[in-house]
Amino acid sequence: MNWERVWTATNWERLLFGNLFSTGESGGLLLTLQIGLLAIVLATVIGAAIGLMRNATSRWLWLPAAAYVEGLRNVPLLILVFWAYFVPPHFGLQTSKFAAVLVALTLFTSAYIAEVVRGGILAVPRTVVDSARAIGLNWWQIQLRIVLPIAFFNMIPALAGRYVVAIKNTSLAFLIGLSDLTEIGRQISNHLMTAPVEVYATLLLIYFVVNALLSRAMQQLEDRRRFGRLFVRL
Amino acid sequence: MSGFDLGALDAESWHRILAGLAVTCKLAAVSLVFASLIGIVVGTLRWANLPVLRQITWLYVEIARNTPPLVQILFWYFSASVLLPAWAFVPLRDAGYEFSAAALALSLYHGAFMGEVFRAGLNSVNAGQFQAARALGMSFLQLMTRIVAPQVARITAPPMVNEAVALVKSTSLALAIGVAELTYQYKHIDNFMFRGFEALMVITIIYLTLCLALSLFGRLLGHRLSRPRGSAPGQAAA
Repeated sequence: MNWERVWTATNWERLLFGNLFSTGESGGLLLTLQIGLLAIVLATVIGAAIGLMRNATSRWLWLPAAAYVEGLRNVPLLILVFWAYFVPPHFGLQTSKFAAVLVALTLFTSAYIAEVVRGGILAVPRTVVDSARAIGLNWWQIQLRIVLPIAFFNMIPALAGRYVVAIKNTSLAFLIGLSDLTEIGRQISNHLMTAPVEVYATLLLIYFVVNALLSRAMQQLEDRRRFGRLFVRL
Repeated sequence: MSGFDLGALDAESWHRILAGLAVTCKLAAVSLVFASLIGIVVGTLRWANLPVLRQITWLYVEIARNTPPLVQILFWYFSASVLLPAWAFVPLRDAGYEFSAAALALSLYHGAFMGEVFRAGLNSVNAGQFQAARALGMSFLQLMTRIVAPQVARITAPPMVNEAVALVKSTSLALAIGVAELTYQYKHIDNFMFRGFEALMVITIIYLTLCLALSLFGRLLGHRLSRPRGSAPGQAAA
């Protein structure tokens, strides 16, 4: 085994930060996390909105929401990345690789989160909503202060699962030429030529650790007091 | 280049798209068979809670589920020759190495998810039923095929179909190691015939049709299986 050739200080620096210190361009795990975390935040906001729409009684609200979810969930993410990267130039729009991956990953993840949110909202007891209306809260207040906080608390395990998938899916960025963690690993492996097992095992290890930490962080939120401090009293 | 014109896709492009579709279906079918087998074995082992196997299967499921399938495909593509013994590697290589490596990686990736589905299915069977079947004098095989399997099949069918849809989508990742499936053919048409937009549209519609048809099948299967056995449609459960 050639672990000592793979686990050098230079290689670790490149895996974690890309060429940040030489060219100033973000890469490696840093870029992976930038794309992943940004997509997670945006997808949660969009997913919550689409999830609310899917539970609406008006056909003009739930039908587009259902089409959005089914359309995005039934196409490979890679195809969405290609749409976001290769199609806008046909209409004279410039795209950046980072934006293309971010948009595709956000839309894809938001479709799954919308389903999670829909289920979570349906599980909020009817009586709670009725009580909120009885004390005179309006629709927006009920949704933002009562329904969504309760629903989100119950959805933490399901959301954690979707967030892990989102982090895993950032690896597609290398297929359109971004130097994310996977691409840096590939470059190191191509350069060394003799240690593919060690390099790719290292990549798997890094992704594993990141996702384990993410899952653990989400578990911490399952404490009601912590959840309340962070989100409800805003 | 601009404008959208399906007529601009020439015979060769259509031929490539169909060939890609065939490879996608083949890769999905092969991986689905092996992933299901892995899922049944791993799910049963995790459920049975055997001493050493418990830790091994736990580690496998955790690693497979928490790392990107794309990196797993690259890992097996570059590592199979080193990690696998010759008797396992040679048939893989002879069957077309890129295809085999992708099938191996996808089977292991989705097998872990399917294992969890089966474990949950087995857990949902009431423990009292095992004792009751034993008390009636059923053998282990009878117990499994007559009591456990029908219930587990009913519960696991919908999530298994969801996993199959995910698997069809995952096959697009095989382009990273040069398997000539649908997405790969899009790249080729885009690079050499400059008709990427039209090809991408056609391929997106193919994936949509494939996955939606599979999802619909899953929904129908779920409805059918949730009906008590032996009762006709419309007939109330006794």
